[in-house]
Amino acid sequence: MFNIFKTTALAGALALSAGAALADYPEKPIEVIVGYSAGGGTDVMARTAAPFIEKYLGDGASLVVKNMPGASGQIGVTEAANADPDGYTLGTFNLPGMMARTIDREAGYDRDSFTYLANVVNDPNVIVTSKNSGLDTLDKLLAEAKANPGAITVGMSSLGGDDHFALIKLQNATETEFTIVPFKGSAPARTALLGGHVAMGILNISEVAEFQDQLNVLGVATNERSTFAPDLPTFKEQGLDLVNGSMRGFIAPAGLPEDVQAKLLNAFSQLASDQEFLAAMAATANPVEVVTGDDFKQLTSDLYDLAKGVWETTPWN
Amino acid sequence: MPESRTSRLKRPETLTALGIIVVAAAFLIPTYDLRAISALLPAVMLIGLIVLSVLLLLADQRKARAGEDAQPMTKSPKRVIGAFLLIVAYALATDFIGFYVSTAATIPLVAWVFGYRSPLGLLIATVIVVGTIWAIFDFGMSQDFPTGRFWGR
Amino acid sequence: MYSDLLHALPNVFALTNFAAVVIGVIAGIVVGAMPGLSATMAISVLVPFTFGLEPLVALGLMAGIYNGAMYGGAIPAVLLRIPGTPAAVATTFDGYPMAQKGQGGFALQVAVVSSSIGGIASAFALMLLAPPLSKVTLLFGPSEVFWVAVFGLASIIFLLGGNPVKGLISACFGVFVSVIGSDPIYGNDRFTFGQLEMLDGINIVILLVGLYALPPVIDLLETPLKTDGVNSSNLGTEPIWKALPRMKYWKTWIRGSLIGIWIGILPGAGGSMAAFMSYNEARRTSKHPETWGEGEPEGVAAAEVANNADTASALIPALTLGIPGTAVAAVMLGGLLVHGLQPGPMLFRDNPDIVFGFMWQFLFGAILLVLLGGSLATNSFARLLNLPRPLLGSVIIVLMLIGVYSIHGRMFDVYLMLGFGAIGWVMDRLKFPLPPVVLGLILGGFAEENLRLALRIGRGDPMILFQNTTSLILVALTIAVVVGPTLKKRFIDGRKEV
Repeated sequence: MFNIFKTTALAGALALSAGAALADYPEKPIEVIVGYSAGGGTDVMARTAAPFIEKYLGDGASLVVKNMPGASGQIGVTEAANADPDGYTLGTFNLPGMMARTIDREAGYDRDSFTYLANVVNDPNVIVTSKNSGLDTLDKLLAEAKANPGAITVGMSSLGGDDHFALIKLQNATETEFTIVPFKGSAPARTALLGGHVAMGILNISEVAEFQDQLNVLGVATNERSTFAPDLPTFKEQGLDLVNGSMRGFIAPAGLPEDVQAKLLNAFSQLASDQEFLAAMAATANPVEVVTGDDFKQLTSDLYDLAKGVWETTPWN
Repeated sequence: MPESRTSRLKRPETLTALGIIVVAAAFLIPTYDLRAISALLPAVMLIGLIVLSVLLLLADQRKARAGEDAQPMTKSPKRVIGAFLLIVAYALATDFIGFYVSTAATIPLVAWVFGYRSPLGLLIATVIVVGTIWAIFDFGMSQDFPTGRFWGR
Repeated sequence: MYSDLLHALPNVFALTNFAAVVIGVIAGIVVGAMPGLSATMAISVLVPFTFGLEPLVALGLMAGIYNGAMYGGAIPAVLLRIPGTPAAVATTFDGYPMAQKGQGGFALQVAVVSSSIGGIASAFALMLLAPPLSKVTLLFGPSEVFWVAVFGLASIIFLLGGNPVKGLISACFGVFVSVIGSDPIYGNDRFTFGQLEMLDGINIVILLVGLYALPPVIDLLETPLKTDGVNSSNLGTEPIWKALPRMKYWKTWIRGSLIGIWIGILPGAGGSMAAFMSYNEARRTSKHPETWGEGEPEGVAAAEVANNADTASALIPALTLGIPGTAVAAVMLGGLLVHGLQPGPMLFRDNPDIVFGFMWQFLFGAILLVLLGGSLATNSFARLLNLPRPLLGSVIIVLMLIGVYSIHGRMFDVYLMLGFGAIGWVMDRLKFPLPPVVLGLILGGFAEENLRLALRIGRGDPMILFQNTTSLILVALTIAVVVGPTLKKRFIDGRKEV
């Protein structure tokens, strides 16, 4: 109740002071709330992008990253969703996780809580198998899965994440059944795979790039070959329609003043063509795919529908 | 001389055992909503706590019957409660009116209340501690401490 | 590979890179020595700051802090019975009794020398054996890790103290706290009461500060005029070169180093478990186990050598596989990612100068420890205890708040810590042993998670737990440790009767 009052009052105040004052945006440091600890993938993305956003915003703009780790990013994104929509608080946003959390638990935000700025990273899923499983091609894997439903163990990070949705898509597309082994994060799943404790894994391309010699990478869930690892074939090439990935981007609270939103969108959209930025992201193993504004919003909506559909047929908790 | 029935129930170990039983039983309630496998370990631990506390309670009551006096938890309960309340008040103050103000007030206050009364010593200690914290955390590492919810953002 | 190692050396001696290690070690000792501040907290505060630093400066600082803090934690553990870091819990067992007997100075010297030896052994393991040891890590899948956790939990029986009922209550409490948070498999909430802040579980530092630091602070304030034997004037310090010949703990040092390195390369368990295990093993094999817990210097040596021996080795799985061996290594991994150092086999090929330089920094950090720690600890730090008790208490309160707040930057954790503090005070007064709580928290949820992963891999068949040699060896070891002492006692008693 109080929040609604506060927002309306603020919106009113902002409307009155709009014009001259807002033309100067930003006139103080912009806080970027990262829902993970410093040093995580999302944090590195935010800190790598920050100087470039500063450059494109101009006027000596400054971005300050603030880490609010916890609950798989939910604490941070809730904070960002409920911040004053004045353009001085932005947040990082992870898909499909942030949408899945609105389905599998109580969340203090929904898909309309945000101004969608830009999705920056798209880390596609890959299917890998351990060297000693003998399943070194997609066909062998699927044949085995059909012959012995549930016999293949799949290591992945937690349920309700991109890995999980990729597996659901795979199961639906090929009418197969696997046994899910959800580890706490991708690195332990990958380690179990390297040690041969699970037969198959669903990970992200950035997580297996360094381990290509130790694992069989069967395919990448993209439409076209990823520039991040162009030698790896896609599933589409192999006749399997499987496209899925983990995405990370930037949002602001819903209801930004229009000129502020325009200025931010303009700055974020320039990331896509900045070679220096692309190089910096490649160095930190972040496959870049910039999607801005309404397209980003549509993307989020689609992923919400996907998660909702999965939840309704096979709830995971 | 054996203690009276009521004072026997007020022995610290008996009270603690009863407290654990009540709390553990209360925590058992939410385990019903969990999947069996998810509830297994916590339920076993809670039941373990209840059983062990019953044993503790019986042992303590046996001692009481044998006329063994229970050791009091503290000789100066007022000081202990006072110290704990001051610490809680400090945390609340940090949360609501800000870290630096609360810290600058708490160090001399606590030391004064509990018996260290040299004004110069208090001043020096406060300045050194607050100053060092500021220099290292705020100035050096740009680490933000709470500024106080009371003042808004 | 070994030529890469030598090639990386000159760069380590570049002024800024070397200074970073020196500053790191000093900062680490200070952080570790402050009750409430921990290595995890120090490095998580440092990570965002290192974004603008040269890789070897950033990594040198972290290596130094890690080494320094693992020793620094021993200082308040010995002098105040407050472990400065989670890994220093086992140091209190004999360190504090030594201080009460006026041997605090010697206890600290044993601690610094042992820490340094453990750190050096660990650094060599990292430098020379990282690739083969990472293969050992791969042997440990969920079912094997489950048995490691059970092995650790079994050692709780040696920590129960005089009253087994109370000890077991402590252990159950610790294990129960470890399951708070999201379910390891399904992710549903367990006992979080809708608090997002509790979804990731209770951080060990929060519990530790509450249980171990708050009760002594209340003591300081409760009896402000008490003058116990602990102050710098009768630490009983003598120059370290005179103290050194009295330290004949080679067996304990070697055993502790091996245990520390081994625990380090296993993901998840970390420093405190290494120290506990090393302590238990040293006591078990001691000729006079009855003196342990009463101020046996070898007990300090056992705990301190092991908690430093897992520092560098915890980075072996972190660097090669991306799975950190300790909580501190997990935070450090973030510091590596910040500099674009992706863990994996390619890391050693792509960035040899940085990776091997980092390893050298660990080694120098461990060596510097004895030089810097020796003088710092025995001289300046112990002086703090000369502060009037109410003042010392109020300063520790502030440090506790900072340390807990800075881990995640939220007050919620501080309130949680105060709650544990109240529990800790009652436990302390009624003589419930605290170590089982710590071990239960570290290993309880860890055992559960791995058991349930293993069962999923076996599709519900519990036989998966006994299907390979590594598991069977661990089961045998656990049985030996638990049953062994009783059998030995029976055997000896039986012979007496004959």
